[in-house]
Amino acid sequence: MPASAHSVAPLAASAPAKDRAATDRVGADRRDLLPRLQRLLSRGRVFTSPAQLAGYASDALGYKSYPPDAVVIPADAAELVEFMRGARDLGLPVMLRGAGTSLSGGPVAAQGGVIVHTSSLRHIREINRDGFWCEVESGVALNDLDAALKPLGMFYPPDPSSGPVCTLGGNVASNAGGAHCFRYGVTSHYVLGVEVVLLDGTVHRFGGPAGGRGRWREDWRRFMVGSEGTLGAFTRFWLRLLPLPEKVWTLRATYPDLRSIEAAIHALVAHPSFPAAIEMLDPRGVAMVEGSRMAAGLPRGSFMLLTEIDGPAALVDARVAAVSDILRRAGSDDVAFSDEEETRRRLWKARKAAGGLLGQLSPDFVVQDAVIPKGALAEILQLVYDEADAAGILAVNIFHAGDGNLHPNFVFNSRVPGELEKVERIGERLMRRVIAVGGTLSGEHGIGNDKAAYMPLVYGPDSMRLQWAVPAAFNPRHQLNPLKVFGERRFTG
Amino acid sequence: MKAIAPLTEERFFTVFLDAVDGTVCVPANTTGAALQARVAPHGLRFPLLLDPATSLSAHVAATTHAPASCRFGQYCDNILGMNWRLPGGRVVRIGERVAKTTTGYDWLRFLLHAGGRLGEPVDYVLRLRPACGFSLLAWFEGEAAALRGCVSRLLHGGWMHWWDAVDFVAEGDRRRVRVAVDCPPGEAPLFTEELQRVAAAAGARLTLQPATGGTLDGIPDLVLKTTPDRVIALAEALAQPAARCVGLGYSGVVHVYLREGGDRPDRIRAMVESHEQALYALGGDWHSRWLPAPAPASAEAAWLVTLEQALRTP
Repeated sequence: MPASAHSVAPLAASAPAKDRAATDRVGADRRDLLPRLQRLLSRGRVFTSPAQLAGYASDALGYKSYPPDAVVIPADAAELVEFMRGARDLGLPVMLRGAGTSLSGGPVAAQGGVIVHTSSLRHIREINRDGFWCEVESGVALNDLDAALKPLGMFYPPDPSSGPVCTLGGNVASNAGGAHCFRYGVTSHYVLGVEVVLLDGTVHRFGGPAGGRGRWREDWRRFMVGSEGTLGAFTRFWLRLLPLPEKVWTLRATYPDLRSIEAAIHALVAHPSFPAAIEMLDPRGVAMVEGSRMAAGLPRGSFMLLTEIDGPAALVDARVAAVSDILRRAGSDDVAFSDEEETRRRLWKARKAAGGLLGQLSPDFVVQDAVIPKGALAEILQLVYDEADAAGILAVNIFHAGDGNLHPNFVFNSRVPGELEKVERIGERLMRRVIAVGGTLSGEHGIGNDKAAYMPLVYGPDSMRLQWAVPAAFNPRHQLNPLKVFGERRFTG
Repeated sequence: MKAIAPLTEERFFTVFLDAVDGTVCVPANTTGAALQARVAPHGLRFPLLLDPATSLSAHVAATTHAPASCRFGQYCDNILGMNWRLPGGRVVRIGERVAKTTTGYDWLRFLLHAGGRLGEPVDYVLRLRPACGFSLLAWFEGEAAALRGCVSRLLHGGWMHWWDAVDFVAEGDRRRVRVAVDCPPGEAPLFTEELQRVAAAAGARLTLQPATGGTLDGIPDLVLKTTPDRVIALAEALAQPAARCVGLGYSGVVHVYLREGGDRPDRIRAMVESHEQALYALGGDWHSRWLPAPAPASAEAAWLVTLEQALRTP
């Protein structure tokens, strides 16, 4: 079946949800958990009733549910430190959690235990315009930081689509990216320093405003970024800032086939206008948007490409004609572009709406996060279509084409016997091919427990030994966020 | 899901050039000149070079940043992967050949500037950038306040993203601000006009010249890392004992170049002792290829034992 011909099914009637998980819980005695936690935290900051815990049983991948034994919300960084000092004696796993928007099963209680919600650590402590840095607590929401920076003419570039709610702690833990990372880079490019509490209760500052090693001989900050909550609890960060671009042009084009949009992407990434973002929505995504109340007027069956150039007005105004020519020469007769705020919002509409519409198609979805060399784009997308079509699973592709960062969303119903297994089989075949063409499992979501099963595809015996040495140094019993990154990282109490 | 069998052999990078992705894999001992000769026919460049005759690994061993880090980030953001020889002699693949990854713990950035204590690079996978076709070097001269004004205007405006480098250069009594530009030929007048506006606004004199070799400063003897707003003062403070200081404005880095002499390590040590506490207080650091690395801090000794066990396992 050609990619563009796939029909979009309406939302299936669903049976009541049931917990999928928690077969792996640690066998510690939980009877006196509440009073033990209450001794570590101030009044009203420990939650153990099922109703209070329900919202913490999964992340944004709702099809897996792992109810924790308790949730704690430390009042401030000092209380988080106190909690971590006592956590080792709890005999239970400890998971740090920001907004819970992870798409990889990152901040869930896969072995039960205590979730530490960082929502009280939300202070922007300092913005230093002359030094191009800011100091923030780990629970600050990404868009709150940007709102504080904008009046100063500054910005913090990583921009995951969960920006209105996701926290910087989650961003640093998963090395988050976003639409504009093609030019600006991901979170690890912007973390100057990390303050972290280890399970032995020690507090360490790795780096700081200057972004060096500080008094340390080695650069331990590098292990902390992207460590997915497996090494320590983050309390604050020092982040690098940039001046806001003066002007932005947004360009949108549609293409009749995969080869022509691939040609457009290849031409854009090599162009001296250095686009900030190159995003793509496939025909199944277009059909999903156009069949919804968020319809943006895109031709059915088309591939949509969205790109942005930003910079000084004189520069980007001089470049926009050349960029639109690239889009046309690659085979589009439908190129729209604007530098006007409202029109730009309309051009972005389909791309921004697509992620939220997946839930209208079916109760569950799995999103992969593979990154591939861009020369393999058409091949890998065709593999996604072929595998999904053969299994009768809808696959919608909405992704960061400039980075080669694919996000095939496999839409399914976990209550239909066998559907999840089909999706998992597709995922394994896809990941094997991704690795074979020189790609990697995750570009910005992290491994969590959702992709941990694929890690043996990546690391040979020596490099796997190095990988395991990192948690062995900081969290040898795997009490922090067990079963994540590597499925064998199991806390045994 | 059925468990996937672990790999029984290491995967390695092989030498390649991917013109679509803008990546190349080359031996780590490749010189800057050889690298540029390899990638230039594809309209690409690796902008973080300091000395065309020196190997890439010597660049990385000496410093974390180059002048073009202002626009493109540090070495560790532009070296995507590597084949790495462990202290025991075995080679492992570290990192990826794609620009984005959050697959596993970040050994790449940890090892890259570890000063040879934890092994050495065999091959690098590098991220390349389009070579835009026109290069220019701008020199601003004037009073101290004028030069500070130039740097502030160059870094805080919307053009900041498009300067390859904004450097404060102190050499003897001479102080200058250097800006490197790489742009399409048709855009050169726009860049030139902006540079002229900056000079006029700050009250500085501007000289434009072809960029050939312009930011190839050589491999520094001492590198200090501070915040961007302290770069000029630090470069000024070190300018007298040094032969030349180059402050990389946005990166917060000062590259120090000394006259040769048997007492060079002692001179470096004296400079470090004057400034290290102030650097550490900001989470900064220093590094010199002429001095041994400091001893590990007490807390990191135990972590290092664990890592070194893994690194040295035969």
